Amino acid sequence: MSNVANSLIDDLVDDLSPVRSLKPSGGMAVAAALTMLACGSVAWFLGVRNDLAMGMADEMFFLRSGVLLMLGIATAYSAVNLARPGVGNLNRGWIWALVTAALFPLTAAIMSMINTPPVEALRPSEGLRCLTVSGMSAFVIGSGLTLWLRQGAPTSPERAGWLVGIASGALGAAAYNIFCPFNDIYYIGLWFTLPVLASAIVGRIVIPRLIRW
Amino acid sequence: MIANEETLRHLMVKAQAGDKQCYSSLLVESEKWLRRYFARKINPAAIDDLVQETLISLHRKRASYDPTKAFLPWLAAIGRYRWIDSLRKIYRHEHGELNEELVADPQDETVSAKVSLERLLGMIPERQAEVIAKVKIEGFSIAETAAMTGQSESLVKVNIHRGLKKMSALIESE
Repeated sequence: MSNVANSLIDDLVDDLSPVRSLKPSGGMAVAAALTMLACGSVAWFLGVRNDLAMGMADEMFFLRSGVLLMLGIATAYSAVNLARPGVGNLNRGWIWALVTAALFPLTAAIMSMINTPPVEALRPSEGLRCLTVSGMSAFVIGSGLTLWLRQGAPTSPERAGWLVGIASGALGAAAYNIFCPFNDIYYIGLWFTLPVLASAIVGRIVIPRLIRW
Repeated sequence: MIANEETLRHLMVKAQAGDKQCYSSLLVESEKWLRRYFARKINPAAIDDLVQETLISLHRKRASYDPTKAFLPWLAAIGRYRWIDSLRKIYRHEHGELNEELVADPQDETVSAKVSLERLLGMIPERQAEVIAKVKIEGFSIAETAAMTGQSESLVKVNIHRGLKKMSALIESE
């Protein structure tokens, strides 16, 4: 062994301090806490949709919430597992959650081809608010997940960027979902898909630079 | 002789708890293992730097080791990440840019097989693997490689670029 290597090893040993092994549950706790914070903020500043407040939520609310939460949880779980290299499974379950979530925009697209939706069904002004609030929530959740990932050693920064982007977009949209009063498929297919898509693209572009090591 | 997997795992668990003696032994064993791992995978003159960079990464990222899993797949993943990073730096330095997708991501327990660098070289076209091996691993210049392989200098550069891109895609798909 060279003197340089010996000297480096001595320095590293001197610098050793105990560390706690990074656990994916820590990353999931960060995502869960920030999602609840986003939900609380939406409820505080915008309110809760009337049918939910009265305990009689529309069935579409449950479908939409379930799909967004499943997509968010599955992608967040895969993302936090990337923090520990060389271990674990491939965690490709998130692909199925993504395919399931794609049923909403796909159904909206097919329905649009059969019956052209009236422009008012798309509600551009409310839709932009949906995009903005979901995006802000996604930013908060994505920032927390990115900071958590920086503690680890993700060996595939690009994949981590996609996954954190999709997860934070889906969880951010799930937070706005508790206020959004609209149930029609055209609205959901457009305005609940865009935040996830935008967040995924931003995640892919921005996050790899922040988590390289 | 390099210690066996169970011993290394035990040393790493102790090191995570702050045991300096175990950590010193682990780093010595890791240094030996990495030298063998990187042999014939990069220009011999660059091995010292790469081994040292990997040891520093091992130190900085030691919390990312899962004590319930084997140690060597984790070390190999760290090593491969640093190896590809070093190729990226060399390539950027020499040619301006390298596809950002070039990453290491062995997300599998069978990492010892999957992270095999020779295996990756074996999965791309022979002409590309040949020039990558000559320039990036054996340290020949572009002109020397062109003369040895019968390819023009510009074709050597194109084949290196295409080969690294293909290797990157293969890593991503695994």
